[in-house]
Amino acid sequence: MDCGSLQPPAARPLLPARYSLKYPIPAVVRPNYSEDAAFFRNSKNPIRTDISGARRAMLQLFREIKNNHELIWALAIKELRVRYKNSALGFLWALLHPLLMMAVYIIVFSTILGRGMDNYGVFLISGIFPWSFFSQSTNYSVSTIVGNSTLLKKVYVDKSVFPVSAVLSNLVNFALSLIALVVILIAMRFPLHWTWVYFPVPVVFLCMFALGFGFLCSAANVFFRDVSHIIQIIMSAWFFMSGVIFPLDVIDPKYQIILKLNPMLYIIDLFHQAVYYGVPLNLNYAILSFVCSLAVLILGYAIFRRLQDMFVYYL
Amino acid sequence: MEQIRFDHVTQRFRLIRERPDTLREVFARMLHKRPRYLPFEAIKDISFSVKKGETVGIVGRNGSGKSTTLKIIAGIYSPTTGKVSVNGKVAALVELGAGFSPDLTGRENIFINGLLLKMTRREIRERERRIIEFSELGEFIDSPIKQYSSGMYMRLAFSIAVERDPDILLVDEILAVGDAGFREKSMERIMDFHRRGKTIVFVSHAMTSVKQLCTRAILLHKGKMVADGTPGLIYEKYEAILKQAGENI
Repeated sequence: MDCGSLQPPAARPLLPARYSLKYPIPAVVRPNYSEDAAFFRNSKNPIRTDISGARRAMLQLFREIKNNHELIWALAIKELRVRYKNSALGFLWALLHPLLMMAVYIIVFSTILGRGMDNYGVFLISGIFPWSFFSQSTNYSVSTIVGNSTLLKKVYVDKSVFPVSAVLSNLVNFALSLIALVVILIAMRFPLHWTWVYFPVPVVFLCMFALGFGFLCSAANVFFRDVSHIIQIIMSAWFFMSGVIFPLDVIDPKYQIILKLNPMLYIIDLFHQAVYYGVPLNLNYAILSFVCSLAVLILGYAIFRRLQDMFVYYL
Repeated sequence: MEQIRFDHVTQRFRLIRERPDTLREVFARMLHKRPRYLPFEAIKDISFSVKKGETVGIVGRNGSGKSTTLKIIAGIYSPTTGKVSVNGKVAALVELGAGFSPDLTGRENIFINGLLLKMTRREIRERERRIIEFSELGEFIDSPIKQYSSGMYMRLAFSIAVERDPDILLVDEILAVGDAGFREKSMERIMDFHRRGKTIVFVSHAMTSVKQLCTRAILLHKGKMVADGTPGLIYEKYEAILKQAGENI
């Protein structure tokens, strides 16, 4: 362009030429991304929420998990090995610990306290085990990046490996505690409902939720170590908000609305339904749980991904 | 073929100033608005390129930015300004023993460490024998490595790290591993990479090993690149710098 001439500039169109006015103005315009612009130009329906970022993040997460699946497994197994190393019973503890915990709950709540509900102990343990999977995954994830700081400062590894393997190792533990759960139910002569077939559904949601939350916490903990302290308190408050130990309808209806805002309530209740109530999958709950879990996973990983290159400077 | 290229690369860190220990200090700091962090440039405006098959030594005193340069090549740091391009698989012999779990045995650690260093399960299984043999650990390999001596630890770490098959090998002051015999063996392994036409970047503050290994050297001083040339030339310049600081080579 000739900058020296004193002619008045040509009138500029209100919109960049590439957005034809045949269509309404796109909701999200990011002219810097030519491919997005092309998307809006070519689309029959240009008003869309921009999800390409979320999709890209998810694709990257899948790719990283696929490329590192051997390492992720090895780290998860290592975690479990180290946990049970040097104990006389070794890996058996992974089974014994939940078994004994459940026995305590059952004895205390079914025989001493539980008068209001039939088999309250079963209600309790069918909620507590998924919950403790979630809370332990979170506890592990929080410190997983900070805890591997010497490694991350010296070797280039995809950082997502650590939260993923933290969740995975706790998932293995959770699977073992299921065996304990079944043993207890049989010992109590509690019927094993056919609705157990739905059991994997909330497990998947819970994994997605735990993973997303783990990404979020582990990233946050790099910048503010306070997170690892506060998370314990958050988790215990969250525990009481999630209907793990009581059904929702024992709560004063005035406060139910607050609890209903908590997505974990629905996930945990899906476990109750499958194991304790023996009712088929509540589709509303399932969809709600899925959407929330997916949102947490996408959000958690997107934030993690954006920050991960800075981790090394703060470790 | 150019394998590593640095274009005006600067790496800035935030140097943490001493933290306030008491509440009084916190308030004092708030009043004075003293920044908690100082910017610190570990390397400043460095440009060079390394061709395939070259063995380049990076020399300089402590704190001259050698290791930072290496970590940028390895992808651990992303430079604050400037452009870096690295073509090919990089393996760094700097991370010796990072990621070892003290409670696991040597054999278990070979496995985990190998995976962390981007080997596949199969590769590790194939090379396990060679790793154990090279490390001279013998029957100790099935003991937890918390019981190893520091020499054994480093030997195992080196043996794993050197089993990778990279295009670019980064070596950082590593030849202080083990006794004279092991050191020679390690040196031989590195020379072997060179013979197979791999690119090697070698960091040291000892000029002798650079002269022995490298065909070219780069001299860094206080984060700046001072010279780039034959090891003989660099030797002279390095000596001059050291003399200024009152040290011997």
